[in-house]
Amino acid sequence: MTAEADREGAASSARVTAVSAAVPAVDAPPQTQPVPWPHLHLLDVDRLTRPQIELVMGTTDAMREVLARPIPKVPALRGVNVTILFYEASTRTRVSFEVAAKNLSCDVVNIAAASSSVSKGESLVDTVRTIEALGADMLVMRHSVSGAPYLAAEVFGGSVLNGGDGWHAHPSQALLDLYTLRSQLPGGSLEGRKVVILGDALHSRVARSNIWTLTAMGADVWICGPSTLLRGFEAWAARGAAGRRFTVTSDVDAAIKDADVVMALRIQKERMASGLLPSLREYAARYGLTQERLRAAKPDVIVMHPGPMNEGVEIAADVAVDPRSVITAQVTNGVAVRMALLYLLAGAQHHGGNA
Amino acid sequence: MSDLAADMSVRGWAVDPATGREGAAELAVRDGVLERLTWLEGAEADGIDDGGTLIVPGLVDLHAHFREPGNEDAETVATGQAAAAHGGFTTVALMPNTTPAIDDPGVVARVRAAAAASGSPVRVLVHAAVTVGRGGETLAPLGELADAGVAGFSDDGAPVHSAALMRNALAYAGALGLPIIDHTEDPTLTKGAEASEGYVASVLGLKGSPSSGEVGAVARAIAILADVVVDVPGAKLHLTHVSTAGSLAHVRAAKAAGLPVTCDVTPHHIGFADEWIAGSRRWAWEAVDADGAARDPWADGSLVAAPFDASLRVNPPLRVATDAVACLAALADGTADAIATDHAPHTEVDKHVEFGWAINGISGIETALPIVLAAVDAGRVPLLRAIEALTMGPARILGERQGVRPGLRVGEPADLMVVDRDRTWTVTAASLRSKGKNSPLLGRELRGVVRLVLAGGRVAYSAD
Repeated sequence: MTAEADREGAASSARVTAVSAAVPAVDAPPQTQPVPWPHLHLLDVDRLTRPQIELVMGTTDAMREVLARPIPKVPALRGVNVTILFYEASTRTRVSFEVAAKNLSCDVVNIAAASSSVSKGESLVDTVRTIEALGADMLVMRHSVSGAPYLAAEVFGGSVLNGGDGWHAHPSQALLDLYTLRSQLPGGSLEGRKVVILGDALHSRVARSNIWTLTAMGADVWICGPSTLLRGFEAWAARGAAGRRFTVTSDVDAAIKDADVVMALRIQKERMASGLLPSLREYAARYGLTQERLRAAKPDVIVMHPGPMNEGVEIAADVAVDPRSVITAQVTNGVAVRMALLYLLAGAQHHGGNA
Repeated sequence: MSDLAADMSVRGWAVDPATGREGAAELAVRDGVLERLTWLEGAEADGIDDGGTLIVPGLVDLHAHFREPGNEDAETVATGQAAAAHGGFTTVALMPNTTPAIDDPGVVARVRAAAAASGSPVRVLVHAAVTVGRGGETLAPLGELADAGVAGFSDDGAPVHSAALMRNALAYAGALGLPIIDHTEDPTLTKGAEASEGYVASVLGLKGSPSSGEVGAVARAIAILADVVVDVPGAKLHLTHVSTAGSLAHVRAAKAAGLPVTCDVTPHHIGFADEWIAGSRRWAWEAVDADGAARDPWADGSLVAAPFDASLRVNPPLRVATDAVACLAALADGTADAIATDHAPHTEVDKHVEFGWAINGISGIETALPIVLAAVDAGRVPLLRAIEALTMGPARILGERQGVRPGLRVGEPADLMVVDRDRTWTVTAASLRSKGKNSPLLGRELRGVVRLVLAGGRVAYSAD
């Protein structure tokens, strides 16, 4: 057993007892018990309360327990039809949702749709109505346009789970990042922990959703990158997200100094063409997460990346596989978090959740 | 009803920007002519104040889109006229971004014929394109179009991107006595933008349109005008749908320097703020605190609607509330000469889509007056000034030669509207006469019910 897995096990077992009172028994269908989750859809994390986030974490613990069984499957959502509608190429998130749904005994339909305002033949509204007519109870969707899941939720009778929309939100990623951090950090608490999100925040739904969830849990969040890729974040930080402050800086050394967590974001090659960056080489030299830079962080700093990685650009290859990296744990936890979300949304369907 | 000459009499609070007078009054119309206007004094005026029945000249809109020819699914001249009348407007000037563009006298004639054929007494004026096909490359036949009686020239929907061409257009149109109506925007800064750059766009992950995308273009246009007036004293520049404090500062300075520049603001840029895209529905002036700083809708519980309502996608984008308040201040102090609706009806196919793929525009001619009256109620602009900006202000920009003379003039065909300011109505798709149901106010109760509209002595709209 590696040191990180050991650390994770100790932290998560301590936490289960703390919140287990509210957590539903996930072996059983949600209609057989009270599920204290009010949201019919999960479209964003901006208005999740801390107790609601705690409930997701607790339910994810229960799902981790399911995943540890010889047969990692429960019949809780048997007969529930889940349609996974992805308008953007994705492997890890799509497969993660599919595995999560199957672990709960859902029936799963996968749709990969072309995503372009020009090439689209059928409108999103018509597509969603068709999916509903085909019997879907839950719709997991990814779309390149910010806010698209809200349009789907407006017309879909079941639950919509946002699997990433434009630059806006990636709720399941932020929640799995949070779960992973709580598993890793001594005491399982983010309170006062310095978490650095490093790179292309401008185009990142992962960064935006993490700002909401991490600040909700009391973390000291720093957003760092080239100033062209931080556009608008100073305005956000200055106004405060519902009073929650965070720090925005282009000074990578100041950001990483004494950091508890560093999360590197993917850099897209298109950013050079649009004049936001001079070159990948310059980005890697000035903002790449290297062993040398990490020396300024706390010795037991946790390294994260939402994937897929450009090794040698935003993260050095030896950092990606460093024992302090939890990138693989992020993937594993992703399945458990998505099982928890599907379960909770199904519960809201049975117990009259709001939009 | 509209082919009947009107007979009626009404008592209420008359507001006449033509004379600068407002007060309790009684009006009588016979055979469509305003026969009598009696300002009431003393006991006769008892019980009449500016919170009840208002009688004002017919409103004038210098900027609307009626989509004909080319996109009659979204609006026709006839449905646009009906919507205008329902909103209290008796004169509307149409923008030329039709298909084909209004860039030659034949298309002008076609639009005029549609207006005449509708039977509506709402008067339709036509703006023509600055450049052929609104392509921004070569000047449209401005002289021929002037002879055809257009009110002004605009490539609205897009700026005249070439500064050199803008200079030529201002000079050439100026010699014809007509204004260039500029949609001021620097497309290199606004390409692909979905919302105004700042807090709300950043949180929602929408591509930001920076203020500089408008302010810089306004400064450039004014600088060009300053050069042009040396040669062509009659040159006139009108900046339409100005939306930022920075732009208004440039206009204020240019006016102080005596340059022939005017501008308008839209109802949606004074009434709504960018936070509406996040789900807020409070008026923009309620979204600033006592110090004038924008409030945080995520912190104060004001996010009441679903975010990303595509009916809010508009260009210029809805700005931060402090810009909206600056637009109101400019309206109050006269920096903004007019309120223009930028009525932009669209079909469900173009609007009920992903926010970032929705076409720009708000169907707004029927809700303009209630938004402005709400700003008056909030003390942001005096009633007389607000009505002036909806009548005399746009009429001055459209020019004498169009014969638009708002005012309560005895002995002339009655062109006026009666609005019950103390009554409310709920905006619904069915209540809107426009084909464009793309209004973020659907479902909202608004104060100010238009009861009667007379245009050129004929009944354009009657609630009874």
